[in-house]
Amino acid sequence: MILYAGKIYESSLQDALLDRLSDDLDRVLSMKTLSSQTVISAVSKLGEEIVSGKYDKELDEIKIEQPERIKLLCAKMLVRENLEYKLNIELKSTETPEPPEGLSKISSKRMPLGVIFHIAAGNMDGLPAFSLAEGLLSGNVNILKLPSTDNGLSLKIISRLIEIEPELSDFIYVFDTPSSDIRAMQKMAQLADGISVWGGNAAISAVRTLAPTGVKLIEWGQKLGFCYISGYSDKTGELSALAEHIAKTRQLLCSSCQTIFLDTEDENELKSFCKEFLPLLEKAVERHKSPILGERAYGSLISCTELLEDIIGNKARSEFRGKGCRLIIRSDSELELSPMMCGVLVKRLPKDKILKELRKSKGYLQTAGLICSPEKRNELCDILSRCGVTRITSAGNMSEYFSGEAHDGEYPMSRYTRIVNIED
Amino acid sequence: MNYINRLFSLRPYGDRSDEIFLRAVRENFSYQLENCGEYRSIAEYFGIGVHDLRNIRDISKLPILPTLFFKRNKISSSKGIYTATSFGTSGGNKSEINFDAEALANALKMSVKIAALRGLISPVPCHYIIMGYKPSISNHAAVTKTAFGATLFTPALSRNYILKYKNNKYEPDFDGIISLVQRLGRSAFPVRFMGFPSYTYFLMKLMDERGIRVKLPENSKIMLGGGWKQFYAEQTDKQSFYSLSKKVLGIDDKNIIEFFGAVEHPVLYCDCPEHHFHIPAYSRVIIRDVDTLKPLPFGKVGLVDLITPLVKATPLLSVMTDDLGVMHSGKECKCGISSPYLEIIGRIAPSDIKTCAAGAAQLLEKL
Repeated sequence: MILYAGKIYESSLQDALLDRLSDDLDRVLSMKTLSSQTVISAVSKLGEEIVSGKYDKELDEIKIEQPERIKLLCAKMLVRENLEYKLNIELKSTETPEPPEGLSKISSKRMPLGVIFHIAAGNMDGLPAFSLAEGLLSGNVNILKLPSTDNGLSLKIISRLIEIEPELSDFIYVFDTPSSDIRAMQKMAQLADGISVWGGNAAISAVRTLAPTGVKLIEWGQKLGFCYISGYSDKTGELSALAEHIAKTRQLLCSSCQTIFLDTEDENELKSFCKEFLPLLEKAVERHKSPILGERAYGSLISCTELLEDIIGNKARSEFRGKGCRLIIRSDSELELSPMMCGVLVKRLPKDKILKELRKSKGYLQTAGLICSPEKRNELCDILSRCGVTRITSAGNMSEYFSGEAHDGEYPMSRYTRIVNIED
Repeated sequence: MNYINRLFSLRPYGDRSDEIFLRAVRENFSYQLENCGEYRSIAEYFGIGVHDLRNIRDISKLPILPTLFFKRNKISSSKGIYTATSFGTSGGNKSEINFDAEALANALKMSVKIAALRGLISPVPCHYIIMGYKPSISNHAAVTKTAFGATLFTPALSRNYILKYKNNKYEPDFDGIISLVQRLGRSAFPVRFMGFPSYTYFLMKLMDERGIRVKLPENSKIMLGGGWKQFYAEQTDKQSFYSLSKKVLGIDDKNIIEFFGAVEHPVLYCDCPEHHFHIPAYSRVIIRDVDTLKPLPFGKVGLVDLITPLVKATPLLSVMTDDLGVMHSGKECKCGISSPYLEIIGRIAPSDIKTCAAGAAQLLEKL
């Protein structure tokens, strides 16, 4: 299905619609302006509807995971006050102070980039609609390519948004083009001023090859999170919160903790840490069992296979096994993807080696959950920031939403806009 | 006394004997412990010896090896005389499994007996259309050989393969097969379709779209096979599959026979006239809780643990697949076979697990 300027079309009409898209985009760009207030009103109204339970049946039908969590997130993110707050932070005023004497002044205004082509990944429910909302809030015309795995939720949300505010229809063009239709993808890329692409290395590399030179690439790649421990302020509280975070996200998110680093050279400390942490993790896992049978079965198969590999390998990888979870001690100090599903890597990383080790993962760094004594906090935040980490939180809050936070080190909406200078 | 041979001399249904099965399992288990160092370490780790297998329920104590384990590790108890490779999904790893001569002989006996149940063995020759690969030197996928092997059930007048090797890769030639089907509609001898269900389905849909209707000779059959994965993929479409085959080929659902096996558990399962997969005398199936791996009763969904003493050259005694299944009591089926039957509910599809952690999707794909 295609959603083109407020109307639904069959996918087979894709090429015909793409042929007229250029003219339609020119018309919108030349005549229409989208005010952020219009978008905020529509988005916050939609948010209210989701929170009030209007879409519970749909969410249930597409078997969305943790619908309550999604609703809670909507309640936080999509309220008018938060949207305005986000807009104020991300799109700061462009008013400039008087230049030094003798230099001429030019005034600045912020404009939308123009046309944004969103290539959304299918790994997060609702992500396509979320990316589109940011494009709209920053005033852009948006072409959205849905992921092949989209379960219909995105189109439903977007259609409802247009129903609430018909003025948005000229700014939204949603296609279900498969990624393999290179010709159509190229056509959409050619019409765009910016391409916002979400996904893994392969998806991003593919977009880099099809994007014409000169189009701004806005890449949202996949990242790795970790926890760094150097002393405690409240040991049980902090470790329980970390366990809770791991169990809740099952290490599936960019911000999830894959590896726990301890500020030590001593492997025995890793072992005593695991002994202490495992019961906490077990308890948290019990509380946050995935409702999806297949996901739990996958975890069990991986864990069972790894155990057998350990047994026949004769070089035990020093695994601490609990019910539905395990801690795996490794002797190196690199940030690494864990086997996920509550299989956590535990490694040594003395403070003076942090930079050298984490730089090996530059480009993939995102959230560091920090557990330390209060007097060490500033110093450790400084070291972690220098490595390329873009988000430092307490260990329990690694995947929480913070109002006004940047995404992977940048404000998305500022990337979706440009500054125009006009001589007074 | 060789109980493994005795087990495979039984009829698939009707002769089911827990006693012979248990003795055959013990025989195989002893062999594995003696000949496979890795398996011995695993059994020792779990503290299980031959003497712990006292009654049929004890087979649930055998060390369980997931198919994933065979994909990631090469393990065997003897060289065997033949090595089979599983049909890997794209990007996935493949298992390599050694087979001993006795296992192959028993597998053949088993296949013939199971095939006979649904009238697959007949002196009347027929034309075979194979919706799969022609066996070649470079193609070791077991499914290829299974498909070829099954063409030996009746004398073959011809064997045609839909996948043609062109430009260094296999390509399906649907047009060629459609004109062949039209010609065979006028033949005096029945036609048998074999191989990947998805190709057969696509072929019928293509014929339907083009308005081509053929009435194939009486006793023509569609044999659906592949791995467990193919089997599941078509599950939802079964009814439309049956009605389409009646419409475009004139084959009704009693002549559609589904069977499957896996390299890691090479027992042949064939559906009954009610299209249920009853467990033959040669294997036992335990459904296990996805969290604790404890055995579950009939009617509960869990991981599928398949047990057979068929193969000695590789420790395939108790293998867990990446499917979710449920067992039903034989009484629930009208066909008259009393042995319980297995229903596959779904496959653990790693692609359904949503993740944005770097590299996670690629890791999941390897399952």
